[in-house]
Amino acid sequence: MPSHQPMGRRARGKVPVAYLVPGFLVLAAFAAYPMFVLVRMSLSDVGPSNIVGDWPFVGLRNFADVLGTGEVWQSIWRTAFIAFFLLASNLIIGFMAASVLAIKGKLPTIVLGIMVFVWALPPLVSGSLWKFLLNDSGAINGILEAVGLPPAAWLSEPDLALWSVAAVIAWASLPFSILIIRGGLLAIPIDVLEAAEIDGASYWQSRFQIVLPLLRPTLWILGILTVLYAFKSFDFIYVLTRGGPGTVTSTLPVKSYNDAFSDFAMSTGATVAVVSMLFVVLLAIPYLRSLRKEVIE
Amino acid sequence: MRNRNKILTAAAVGAVFTLALGGCTNSENGSTSSGESGSTSNGDVTTLTFWSYYTAGSQAEWLAAQVKKFETDNPDIKIDVIETVGDQQDQKLLASVATGRGPDLFINNIVVDFPTLAAAGVFADLTPYWEKFADADEFPEASVWKDGDTVYNLLPYTNLLGMYYNLDILGEYGITEPPATLEELQADMEVVTADGKYKGLALSGAPSVEGAWLFAPQLLGEGINYCNFDGPKVGEAFNRLDSWASDGFIPKAAATWDQNASWQQFMTGKYAFAFNGNWQLGGLEDVAFKYGTAQYPKPEDGFSQVYPGGEGYGIGSQSEHPDLAWKFLEQAILTPEAADAIFTATGSIPTRADATDSAALQGDFVKPFVTAASDPGSWPKNENTAKMQNALGTEVSSVISGQKTGDEGAQAAIKNIADAAAGGGC
Repeated sequence: MPSHQPMGRRARGKVPVAYLVPGFLVLAAFAAYPMFVLVRMSLSDVGPSNIVGDWPFVGLRNFADVLGTGEVWQSIWRTAFIAFFLLASNLIIGFMAASVLAIKGKLPTIVLGIMVFVWALPPLVSGSLWKFLLNDSGAINGILEAVGLPPAAWLSEPDLALWSVAAVIAWASLPFSILIIRGGLLAIPIDVLEAAEIDGASYWQSRFQIVLPLLRPTLWILGILTVLYAFKSFDFIYVLTRGGPGTVTSTLPVKSYNDAFSDFAMSTGATVAVVSMLFVVLLAIPYLRSLRKEVIE
Repeated sequence: MRNRNKILTAAAVGAVFTLALGGCTNSENGSTSSGESGSTSNGDVTTLTFWSYYTAGSQAEWLAAQVKKFETDNPDIKIDVIETVGDQQDQKLLASVATGRGPDLFINNIVVDFPTLAAAGVFADLTPYWEKFADADEFPEASVWKDGDTVYNLLPYTNLLGMYYNLDILGEYGITEPPATLEELQADMEVVTADGKYKGLALSGAPSVEGAWLFAPQLLGEGINYCNFDGPKVGEAFNRLDSWASDGFIPKAAATWDQNASWQQFMTGKYAFAFNGNWQLGGLEDVAFKYGTAQYPKPEDGFSQVYPGGEGYGIGSQSEHPDLAWKFLEQAILTPEAADAIFTATGSIPTRADATDSAALQGDFVKPFVTAASDPGSWPKNENTAKMQNALGTEVSSVISGQKTGDEGAQAAIKNIADAAAGGGC
């Protein structure tokens, strides 16, 4: 005997699927298809002469070539260095700054306003500003000389350039971290903190022993987002050093760009981009799990 | 269907690199996103698009004046100059072939991208136009760029490297003649930098084609070019560069300077010497010190030779009005008047024989560059020429910054240039 489901319920059952269609189409057009082309390019021999035309399939040869040279491993290491630098900056400084700013008052409001401004600045603008400040004869060296310290070649000394670039990227990403952590702090029930205070906990004791454990899910997600940000950081490095001096600031995205668009080695650039993407995918898995866990909770 | 696939592929390639690079910005110079490709007709007026990365300064003003004059003389043709970003011009041109939305006219960095763009089918064939061009004999062979026997790209003016020197500084240390050899230059730099008051040499050591272009003459003068890049002379040149950097004649910051940044440093009056191009001559009017120019110093037992540079002019392979585009080139770019105007405006040296004889090009400051233009080095005709030049530039930057020693830089340059050139010929 056929079931006679009411029309309204059947229609309602199909609605959510219909809602997914536009999103699915946009995702397919702007993410899935380009990624498919990228992967296809990384498995083919593509140069300027055949960018329009047939792409001979070469299997994993490009990956063997790229991963067989020390160059890409150095780029991976540099990218990882920036990721660790950002993690330290965003989580440690971010937590401390958010703790200070999680109080009511005019000053925190002004500081937060400035941070949002910094965060919203286009990297091209803030990067150019930092390039000017970090120049040999820039303001930072001027200050150092004024207090009797020797100037430094911030962007051209091989041992210093990657630190300088990482510091600028950290400066730009810190406001976002502070805002996220501050949001997490404000969501903690005040009763818990008051109880700790009554029990004799100092301000920083309650921060580290009560607040920090409660913030763990927020910090975990922020940490993953920070590493993802590090793996896609391109604009600041492009403006500040273009991967130089030599190759000391050539991270995975910069190498991918230079291979594809400066050397016109399209397949090599695509292969480096795929390698970079694999790292991002590996990091995205725990991020998605965390999000799902939060939704369930 | 095939066209649609090409468009989808090109769009996808662009999108995916954008995604992978996390939002690489191209808003630097505000290239337009619509109406920038192909020609259009509106009644009796045909509009041709011209992709130019001359976005400001004397070169842009010169081009604007040429366009204005052409439009006045040809009221039925409008030239729509679309400002592009120099670094991204090649990407745009390559993508335009796939999307079918290329320009009618464009300029390109001919010495870096010609083999690449020719292989990709970006250029229209200029051979029939060139064969009928009445003034073709005025242009030397080196200004007509061919792939096989097919003319694709024209170089109506050229830019070459030379040496600028600060006469005030040299006078202060009793140096009366500019150095003619690299050894003399080194000796002079030792003198002027000894008391720490001045610095030696401002040059671009960027890890790119610019760093390569500035360093390559030290090897060209020994007979070494991209096609025979090997041997002890390469090591000697890199070790010389290493010693200049470690002795403080060149600042470490030069490892990231492009040519404009290094020129700004020379303009501060703190540097005794600078390697730079003739296009800087146009900006020397307000300089606060006395200066002079000379040819790029030669190696002790070698000769002074530099690679020629300059903008190539081409017609897009997809232009619907190649005849009108050629008309623009013929009347606005390749004339003796245009040649005089580009030299007056920017200091670029026209390649027309009748223009190089003009009195203006016999001036003291420009003469070393004109002399250099008479015997320039030859670029490799290799699809990977950009990769070869970038490989050299990267090692130059590495050595100046101290990331590598001279020997390490030389070995890496030899290997990477050979790898890049493999299979591509010269």
